[in-house]
Parts: sequence; C-alpha cells; structure tokens
Amino acid sequence: MTTSTFTIAGRIIRQLVRDRRTLALLVLVPLVIASLVGVSIPDKQTLDYIFPAILAVLILFFGFLLTGISFLRERSQGTLERLLASPVSRLDIVGGYLLGFLLFALLQTLIIFFYMVYVLDITYRGELWQILVFQVLIGAGAVCLGTFFSVFARNEFQMMQFIPLVIVPQIFLCGLLWPVAQMPDYLQWAARFLPLTYGVDGIRALMLEGQSLADIGKEVGVLGAFAAALLILASLTLRRSSPG
Amino acid sequence: MTGAIIRRYLKIHIAEAYLAADSAIAIRNLTFNYGRLKVIDGLSLEVPPGTSFGLLGPNGSGKTTLIRLMVGLLKPAGGTIHCLGQPPSPARARSTGYMPQLPALYQELSVEQNIEFFARIYGMKNKLQRVQRVEEVIKLIDLWSRRKTSVLKLSGGMKQRVSLGCAIVHRPPLLFLDEPTVGLDPELRAHFWGHFENLTSAGTTLIISSHTMDDAAHCKQLVFLRQGRVIAQGSPAELQSATGNCNASLEEAFLYFIHKGEAPAGDD
Repeated sequence: MTTSTFTIAGRIIRQLVRDRRTLALLVLVPLVIASLVGVSIPDKQTLDYIFPAILAVLILFFGFLLTGISFLRERSQGTLERLLASPVSRLDIVGGYLLGFLLFALLQTLIIFFYMVYVLDITYRGELWQILVFQVLIGAGAVCLGTFFSVFARNEFQMMQFIPLVIVPQIFLCGLLWPVAQMPDYLQWAARFLPLTYGVDGIRALMLEGQSLADIGKEVGVLGAFAAALLILASLTLRRSSPG
Repeated sequence: MTGAIIRRYLKIHIAEAYLAADSAIAIRNLTFNYGRLKVIDGLSLEVPPGTSFGLLGPNGSGKTTLIRLMVGLLKPAGGTIHCLGQPPSPARARSTGYMPQLPALYQELSVEQNIEFFARIYGMKNKLQRVQRVEEVIKLIDLWSRRKTSVLKLSGGMKQRVSLGCAIVHRPPLLFLDEPTVGLDPELRAHFWGHFENLTSAGTTLIISSHTMDDAAHCKQLVFLRQGRVIAQGSPAELQSATGNCNASLEEAFLYFIHKGEAPAGDD
C-alpha cells in the first residue's frame, strides 16, 4: 500500500461526496430496506434470529453493486486507462478502490445495523467492536468481488446480470432461508466455496451466540483469504482492454 | 508570456530525461494483433527529441493502438519499443504524459480537483509546488474562472482543455496526444496548437495522432499510417514535394503514397 492507494481512495470519497444525489441515496436506501425488514417480520424472536444473516446479505449486495458499477464506469469513461498509463501500480488502483468503496459500503451497513438495533430494538449478544470488524471483512470481500466481476462486463446492463448470477445463489445457499446442513450434499459442497456462507455463519456466531472473533477463526480466515485472492486477481486482470 | 513560463519550468527537467536517449522514441519491427486481425504490422520509426511528431492515417489505420503500445497499455506481439531509452514501464511513465481520445475525467470533480489528482498520481509530493503548478496549468488552459466547476457542467472543448491540463501537469518531456483536437472549433484548435508549439519550443516531444490534414500541417515531422504500416515519413514539405507537385496538399500527398505504396526518400 503506497501514497497512491490513499490518493485514489481520497479521490473516490471526494467524488461521491460531491455527487449529492448519490450520497443521499446511499443513506436513504439502507434505511428503507431496514424499515421494510422490521415491518415485514412482526415476530421479534424471528427478527432477532434472521437479522444477522440479512445484515451479511445486504453488506454483500451493496458492496458488490456499488463497486462493480463504479469500476465499470471508470473503464467506460476512460479514466482507468489514464491511470494504467501512469506510474501507479495495478495493486494501488484496486487497493485504492477497496479503501474508498469500503468506507461507503460500511456507511450503509452501519446505518442498517444501528437503525435496527436502536430503532427496531433488535437484541444481540457479543462485543459490538468485534461485530463491526467482521462486517468490515464481509464488506472487503464484497468490494473485491464487485471489482473482479466488473472486469468481465462491458456495460452497466451486463454488470446488472451478474447480480442474479453472483449474489442470488449465495443468498439461497448461505443458510438464510434454510439450514445448509439440511440441503442435498452437492449443494452443501457448493456452499463451502461461497463467501456469504462464511459471512452468515460468522456473524450469527458473534451476534446470536455471543462468540468472539477468536472463536470464529475459520470464518475470519476464509473471508480474509477470499478478499485477498480477489484483490490480486482483480489487479492481474485489470489490463484487459478492448480494441480501439 | 505563457510560452516563457513553460520553457522556464521544463528545460532542466527535459534535459535530464534526454541524457540517456538519442531519440525520444525508437520502435523496431513492431507487431500487434487483436485476435486474428493484424493491427500493427512490422512498424519501425524513430522520433527525435523536442519535435511535434504526427501519426496520420484514416480510422482503423492503427494510430490509437500504436499510442497505447507506446504508453504501455498494450503489449506488443513482436518487436521493441523504447521511450526515452527504455521500454514502457510504470517507472518510465513518470516522464510521459498521456491524453486519451476521450476526455477521461472524473465528472463529479472540479477542474482543479481533476488536475490536482493527476499531479499527485504522477508523484508531485510537495504540496506548495503542486498547488502552484495546478494553478499555473489552470491559467494556461484558460479555465481559471471555472476552476471550481464540476467537469460534468463544462462544454466539450473545455473538457478537452482539462484533459490536456491533466496530461501536462507533471511537465513530462514526452507527451502522447491521441486525437487532441477532435471536436474542437477552429479558434480552440488554434489555441491548442499554440500550447503545443510552446511545449515543443521548450524541448517537449509531442506524439500526436490525427486524421485531419489541418493538424498534420502543424507537425514538424509526420508519418502516414495505413493498415498498421508506415507508408511515408518526413516533414510536411518533404511529403508534399515527394508527390512531384509543389502545390500538392497533404491530403493529396497521402493519397499519392497510398497509390504508390512505398516511402519517400526524405525520411530521417
């Protein structure tokens, strides 16, 4: 990580802050979603149980969408090409994106988390800071996933198709709707390769069972390795360019 | 006045960059393919330092691909490229500037923020020097009164000027400009050429791609490209006189070489 990484992250933050409408939507959308979840599940015990998994899903969804579309925009408007022709390394570019967008992905996550805890009165166990650290980890995975898949899309429409392809299977297989252990063997096997499975397992252990980050070392390790591998893969595939 | 300012700042920097290289660019037997399509086909050329060097050719002749190869965005299938004595690399990129065909700017950021960002990216770490240089570049591109305006709200010509500002902010001795005057009105085009001439008189080497003969006439040296090959090279006057007709336009010269299918004797 070099000065350029922070320069790029700073530029992304400045860009989003100057775009008032997008900033307002970034704050408003999580509030609407959180309210909807709270209102649509009137049974408090069920809501307490389902909330951590929903939180993990929303972090993945927002992080993926925000980064994927923004990175694609950087490609289509030519600014990525300009950066690639500069002295900045590819890892600096992807690292800068990770830092910049992670901040906004976290902003959305925190809005949902604190809104549900303090306004909708969701109860949780475990240390607050450890829950927040784990959310950062899921957010980092989501941002890296969005950056990586944007390499394979030529326009926003194609990127939108990656949502059902990348996000929806993870929602079905992560244990949010049905316990993974009760799924057919081949689906349990597939679920082991999906980051959201570890995100949901980890955040449930922290919030429902009151475990610590040390207790969920496997989930922390897998999510960290997943984010790091995608960061490297995304930076390696960055030079893919179209004829011009 | 602006010419004097540029010359004062550029001379020492440029002299250092050229110490290691006899030519600003040396290309030998370069080839590049997009799939089965041969875009650059055994191209060789040499660009002397401190000149405005035009790459002229119709759409699809390989101008943009050649520039992207020279700035290191693409890897050659064969042959060699040396910019200021070294192959293109992130380290070498510090001494080059690149203005792509699209304005390629951050739309939400202001004119000042865009130029400042590229100053930082190109390693201008000293804040005081950076701020001074950014101000100087904004004045140079004549957008001082719009420096706080988002790029989104600027006209096409203004965006082109900001794009040029981002490419020159770190005072590169070698500048690649991919169709820099496309879409500009005649007055702005003349303004741009005024900037370019100031830069070359300070020692900067400009590589300019274009498909208009108006741009070609301003260049000191030209190559005519067709299907990824150099079909002619020389000064505009040499290329015109090689047709055998002293009053021939550059357009006529270009057509002459297409029909002739070989380079003139006036090469460097």
